[in-house]
Amino acid sequence: MLKQISVFVENEVGSLGRVTGVLRREGINLRAIASYDTPEFGILRMVVDAPEQCKEVLTREGFVVKISEVLAVELVDRPGELDRVLHVIADAELTVNYIYSFVIRNEKSPLMVMHLDDMEKADRILKESGIAVID
Amino acid sequence: MIWAKEETLSRREIEEIQLAKLKATVARVYEKVPAYRAKMDEIGMKPEHVQSLADLKKLPFTVKKDFRDNYPFGLFAVPKEELVRIHASSGTTGKPTVVGYTRNDMKMWTENVTRIAVMGGATEKDVAQICFGYGMFTGALGLHFGLENLGATVCPTSSGNTQKQLMYMKDFGTTLLVATPSYALHIGEVAKEMGIDPKKDLKVKIGLFGGEGMTEPMRQEMYKLWGEDMKVTQNYGMSELIGPGVSGECLELCGMHVNEDHFIPEIIDPVTGEVLPPGEKGELVITCLSKEALPVIRYRTKDISRLMYEPCKCGRTTVRMENLSGRSDDMLIIRGVNVFPTQIEEVLLGVPEIGPHYEIIVDRKNHLDTMEIKVEFTDDTLLDSYAKLGALEKSIKSRLKVVLGLDAAIKLVAPRSLQRFEGKAKRVTDLRNM
Repeated sequence: MLKQISVFVENEVGSLGRVTGVLRREGINLRAIASYDTPEFGILRMVVDAPEQCKEVLTREGFVVKISEVLAVELVDRPGELDRVLHVIADAELTVNYIYSFVIRNEKSPLMVMHLDDMEKADRILKESGIAVID
Repeated sequence: MIWAKEETLSRREIEEIQLAKLKATVARVYEKVPAYRAKMDEIGMKPEHVQSLADLKKLPFTVKKDFRDNYPFGLFAVPKEELVRIHASSGTTGKPTVVGYTRNDMKMWTENVTRIAVMGGATEKDVAQICFGYGMFTGALGLHFGLENLGATVCPTSSGNTQKQLMYMKDFGTTLLVATPSYALHIGEVAKEMGIDPKKDLKVKIGLFGGEGMTEPMRQEMYKLWGEDMKVTQNYGMSELIGPGVSGECLELCGMHVNEDHFIPEIIDPVTGEVLPPGEKGELVITCLSKEALPVIRYRTKDISRLMYEPCKCGRTTVRMENLSGRSDDMLIIRGVNVFPTQIEEVLLGVPEIGPHYEIIVDRKNHLDTMEIKVEFTDDTLLDSYAKLGALEKSIKSRLKVVLGLDAAIKLVAPRSLQRFEGKAKRVTDLRNM
C-alpha cells in the first residue's frame, strides 16, 4: 500500500498554497493531490515522494498531519477501466471512502488512489481480480 | 516554609491587628482624602463609628471610577514628594488608574510578594525569570522586588521575544518562571517548536503565575508542557490594591491565602452590595490596611470568589480565597443567559483533541445573539474522515450546551493560528455593541 499524507487546512485564501509552499521549499515532489469543497475546513490529501519527511516538515510548520495507507491501482488508459475496478470492489461489498488520481506519470499507466472501509480485503480482492495494485 | 509569623496567627490575633489598622486607616482617609470624606459625610459616617470589624460593612465602597474621577493623584493621602514609585493600570478603557507608593509602602509590598513567592515554593536558591512586561504595570516590578528580597537571582527578561526568553532560560538555568498562565503555555509551545523539551532540557520547576486567572485545566496543561513535578501556583493582586501580593496559593493548592494583616477581604452580592456569609460565592471586596500613599477602603474588585476560613494543611491560618470563577465585568449575557468565559474555558480544556487557546465571538444576527468559538484543532488521528472532524465539533457543542444551556457554533482552526497574548489574554470579542 501507498502512504498518503492528510493535512488539516482551513477554508480560506492561500491555505493550500501554504502547504505546497513548504513542499516546494523542501524539494518534496507531489504525486497526487485531492481536496473537496467544504464550508469551513478541509482535509488535503496527498501522495508525495518522501512521506515521512513531508510529515515532519509540515508538523514543524504547525500543520496537523497524518500518514495513512491507501491503495494505488494501476489502470490501462482506455474507456471502462475504472468501471471494471469499481465493480470488483462493489461485488466484494466494500465501500469506497474517497478516490483521486495521480498527476502526470511520464508515459506510465494512470494510477488511481483509493481509500476503502476495509483496506486489507480490498487489496486482496483487487489483486485476485488481476488488477495491478502498487505495493 | 512560611515567610512571616503573621501568616500563622490565631483568628483573634489577626482580627486585633485588623481592627487597629482599620480604625487608623479610616481616620486617615477621612482627614486627608476629600473624596473619602465626602462619601462618608454623605451617609453620616464618622471615623469613630468604626468600633469593630463588623462596622466595616457600613463604609462606602470604592470603585474603579473613583480612581478615574480623581485622576491622577486625587485619592492619595500623602503629598507627592513622599512617593518613591508610581504605577498605572493598562487603562484599556478610559484613563489609566494611577497608584503610588511611599518608602514604607514599597517595603510592605515587597514583603507581601516575598510571602507569596515562598508559598509557591520559591527559595533563595532559585533563578527567577520574570516574563511579565516591565513598565507601568505592577506585576513585573512587584515580583521582581519580592523575589530579590527573598534572595533569589532575578532575571528581568520582561515579556516578548520568546525565543530569546528560552535561550536565557536554558543558559542561565532558570528554575522559576513568572508569567501570565497563557504566556507560560505559549513559551512551552515555542520551546517545543524549537526542539527544546521543557521537561528535560530546562530546569524550570516553579511557576508563579498571575496577571490573569488560571483555571484547573490550564494548570493540567502546564504540567503536561513543563513537567508533572512543576510547582504550579497562581497569585492575586491588582494595582489599585497594591499590585501582586494580596493573596497566593500555597503548595496545597486549595485557594489563595490572603495576607490578612494588610488586607481584609469581604464577599458581597454584586447586585445588592450586601455582605455574604463565609463560604458563599460573590464579588470580592478588599480593604487595604497598611498603605500610606493610597489607602483603599472596600474596593470592589469585580472578581468572583468565595472565602474559606478553615485552617490549611500548609500551616497558615490566613483566610483563603477560592480561585476566581470569573469577573462580574466579563459576564456575557447571551440570549438572556449569564455566561462566564471561564465556564467555556473549563469545557474546552477538557477536550483532548484541541489546544488550550480559544476565541469567543459574540454577535447578533436577525435580533438573536450568536456565539462562535474558535478552537485549534491538534489531533492528527481525526484526519481520516470529515465524519470524525464533524463528530468532534458536535461533541464540543453538546458539552458546552450542558454547561451553559446555550448553543454555540464551533469552528476548528489550524494550530497556532489564534492570537497569543503576552499579557492578559483577550478571548472575547463582542460585536453586538460595535
